[in-house]
Amino acid sequence: MNIVVCIKQILDPEVPARDFRIDSERREAARGSANLVTNIFCENALETALQFRERAGGRITVLSFGSESAEDSLRKALAMKADAAALVINDGHPHPDPFAVARALAAAIRKIGDFDLILVGRESGDWGAGQTGALLAEELGVPCVNFVDHIDSDSDGLRLKRQTDAGWEIFAAKPPVVVTITNDEHNVPRVPKTRDVMMSYRQTLTKWTLDDLDTDAASIRAANSYYEIVDLLIPVKETQCEFIEGDSLESRVENLARRIQEVTDAL
Amino acid sequence: MNDSQATREVFWNITQVWAMYALLVPTLVIAGFGFYRRVRVWKRGLPLDRTDRPIERIRKLITHALAQRRTTRDTSAGIFHTLIYTGFIILTLATTVVFIHQDFGLPIMRGKFYLYFQSFLVDVFGALTIVGILMAAFRRSIQRPKKLVYTDEAAMILAVIFLIAVTGFLVEGWRIAATSDPWGHWSPFGYLIARASGPLMSDETLKQSHAAVWWTHAVLVFGFIAWAPYTKMAHVAFSPFNIYTASLAPVGASLRHIDFDKAETLGVNSLAAFTWKDLADFDACTECGRCTNFCPANTVGKSLSPRDIILDLQLFMRNSERGIQNGNSALRTPHSAFNSPIIGTVEATSPDALWACTTCGACMEACPVFIEQMPKIVDMRRFLVMEEADFPDTMQEAVTSIESRGHPFRGTSLGRMDWAEGLNVQTIDQADDAEVLLWVGCGGALVERNTRVTRATAQLLEKAGVSFAVLGREEKCTGDPARRIGNEFLFQNLAKENSDKLNRHGVKKIITACPHCFNTFRNEYPQFGGNFEVYHHSQYLARLVDEGKLKPEKKSEKKVTFHDPCYLGRHNDEYDAPRQLVKIASRSNPIEMKQSREQSFCCGGGGGMSFIEEPPDKRVNGERARQILETDAERVAVGCPFCMTMLEDGINARKGERDVRVMDVAELLWESVSADVRG
Ligand code: SF4
Ligand code: SF4
Repeated sequence: MNIVVCIKQILDPEVPARDFRIDSERREAARGSANLVTNIFCENALETALQFRERAGGRITVLSFGSESAEDSLRKALAMKADAAALVINDGHPHPDPFAVARALAAAIRKIGDFDLILVGRESGDWGAGQTGALLAEELGVPCVNFVDHIDSDSDGLRLKRQTDAGWEIFAAKPPVVVTITNDEHNVPRVPKTRDVMMSYRQTLTKWTLDDLDTDAASIRAANSYYEIVDLLIPVKETQCEFIEGDSLESRVENLARRIQEVTDAL
Repeated sequence: MNDSQATREVFWNITQVWAMYALLVPTLVIAGFGFYRRVRVWKRGLPLDRTDRPIERIRKLITHALAQRRTTRDTSAGIFHTLIYTGFIILTLATTVVFIHQDFGLPIMRGKFYLYFQSFLVDVFGALTIVGILMAAFRRSIQRPKKLVYTDEAAMILAVIFLIAVTGFLVEGWRIAATSDPWGHWSPFGYLIARASGPLMSDETLKQSHAAVWWTHAVLVFGFIAWAPYTKMAHVAFSPFNIYTASLAPVGASLRHIDFDKAETLGVNSLAAFTWKDLADFDACTECGRCTNFCPANTVGKSLSPRDIILDLQLFMRNSERGIQNGNSALRTPHSAFNSPIIGTVEATSPDALWACTTCGACMEACPVFIEQMPKIVDMRRFLVMEEADFPDTMQEAVTSIESRGHPFRGTSLGRMDWAEGLNVQTIDQADDAEVLLWVGCGGALVERNTRVTRATAQLLEKAGVSFAVLGREEKCTGDPARRIGNEFLFQNLAKENSDKLNRHGVKKIITACPHCFNTFRNEYPQFGGNFEVYHHSQYLARLVDEGKLKPEKKSEKKVTFHDPCYLGRHNDEYDAPRQLVKIASRSNPIEMKQSREQSFCCGGGGGMSFIEEPPDKRVNGERARQILETDAERVAVGCPFCMTMLEDGINARKGERDVRVMDVAELLWESVSADVRG
């Protein structure tokens, strides 16, 4: 079974609120002193793939479309014991929209060769659009199952499990299929062994530019074709504190009830 | 008779003396083999140079092997050990005198020397040895302190040396009685026996009994010599050897460097991965139990016992030589046993125990023979972390956070410079001619309570007119927690990165309020090209006061006790500077807790342990808080961001008892220096 896990490197979402700034000119989060990390849902996807490989065998390729620095995320994936890694260097728009990303990834996956299972994180921790998985399936012309947290296989094909409010849904799917992965207590990304971290720096990592792929590189570079970010701002939260007065407990409760009514009416 | 003629006949009443000499040969062969067997195993360990700086080593040998400074710290054990040990030395000297007199034909055993030394002194010390043996036996059989290991072997040893001493006195006494030795009274205890036996025994009986007991004594002595190297008595030879080859570096520099280009396995999970010195350490253990007695984790009831780690591995090593593993399987070869896994194979090295160590170094400080328990624990942790990635989740989070964010405090809402809000603190880019760098540290910047300490320190430096700067957002963890948890790889990367960065900025002097950062810069960065003059803030501030650059105006009335941070005290031998600050800032001297200075009790936060949730009934900080509350101090002064949070938590958990405020020494000084601050 050939498995491709798509991963994205993002600005650390855990940067302290006070350090978080927006570059309003570029309409993006300012890098500041924050680090770049692998998007957590992508790591959940990789972990799910690794566990699946332990049970059913297969070969895992990790793939990223991003800047040169995304190599760090791919190396970490290799340290976690992915079999191969490929990076498509994005020399176009710094924030390509999900359509462009899906097109680039699809072209790279076709270049990698036969595939049975494509895993994608359910959304990224920076923009959080949650579109890439479905669009990628569309590009590749295969079905897509969303929000899965566990994958198994039997003689009929794959069993994909997802949690709903009412319980579990199990999908039977025949590869090839794109699956988006959400987090679960069982797919917490493993900490790689240091020995494997060291080895990961000696492994080869394939790098492509958009021109190496069989796709319309220019349109991907242009990106942002379907929507435009007009403005970006940090929501301002305001809290007001009000003391409810009254002579007795009863009157205070009454006043409180009246005040709640007023406030909710005003909303 | 003239005293100058005083002497005695060696081998009086003994025929066939040759038999004794004949016995000597197998005795020495067996004993020699006993030692050779041990040394042969050590030689299988990895290489390590422990013969450099001979003068310092000899000095250490004199203080700790000859004068036994550490052994005598424990008063009850110290007394009996001194009695037996000096008796042992005096009696060995006496035997040597006999040997020189008789076998070398140099008649030195005569006259005053014979009377004062060979008769009187030897007799008295012989008696004191018996007192020592009885004390030891009393301790073992009646008092039974928890820290000792109770083996038949230990009891046998006491019994045998007791018999040797008693038969020695009988031989002496009966000789004095039978020969009516005119100088007999110079051996007071032998003389007593002579006087007591005289009326009861005929000359013939005396002679016969003397000969019989003489041979018994001789056989016991030889037997003991032959047997000793196979028992814990081997420490008579191993202890001095171990002290001579002990590490001369401070405790803070005791972790082994790993060369990642060469290392076959990362960390240690077999005897083969230890150095020869580690293996020698296992053999040198005297089973005294001091290390475990002082171990904070053990004190609060965790399974960690440094003594048992050493002794279990000693047994493991000895069994492995015979190809035995886990008690019974004799199928393995010595080779595979030497290479087979040790973590969790014996109880003492279970991961639970290994993950309880705060790396406080109390064990190393307590050990009379300078065994290095803590670095071995870290060696095994390294294996778990780097080869297996198998370690507690919360520690994993801390390590991952250091990896991706440069600090271990995942989820902090603070930034690197938030503490400086409203202060005029410059970063090194703004002030590249600054004289000193204030290294804030992750704790000092990202843990709310400690930001106040950083503020106080910066304000004091400013007030004293020190030209200083900080790295600001460029600052990253020194790697101490990563190293102590066992991720040496991450540590080395950080050490190189930070050393380069500091060198690039031309940093020469570093001040830090974190003893962990202090230790890392001082003892560990030089290996990575980071050579700086490093000060703990207490040292630097004390100096500023001495130089008159800071003028304390008020003295607090509050009674203060000081809690020694392990990484400042035991790891780097600085006990006085922080106390000096306490003294400057308050009316009275600091109150000392029961355990302080070298024997201070850890806060529980070192070695990555502050990133672990301890079970509520087994918290090291809880025990330390108890010790703090035991004094009548109203404040406890600290000098470490980890101690700060651990002790605050510990005291809060005992809130009902008494409220004691935890304050850093810099805060105390700031309070005393600045008129507008209230305590
Ligand atoms: S370093 Fe401290 S916690 Fe660790 S074994 Fe030694 S005494 Fe115990
Ligand atoms: S390791 Fe040292 S302190 Fe611990 S029991 Fe052995 S000799 Fe005593």
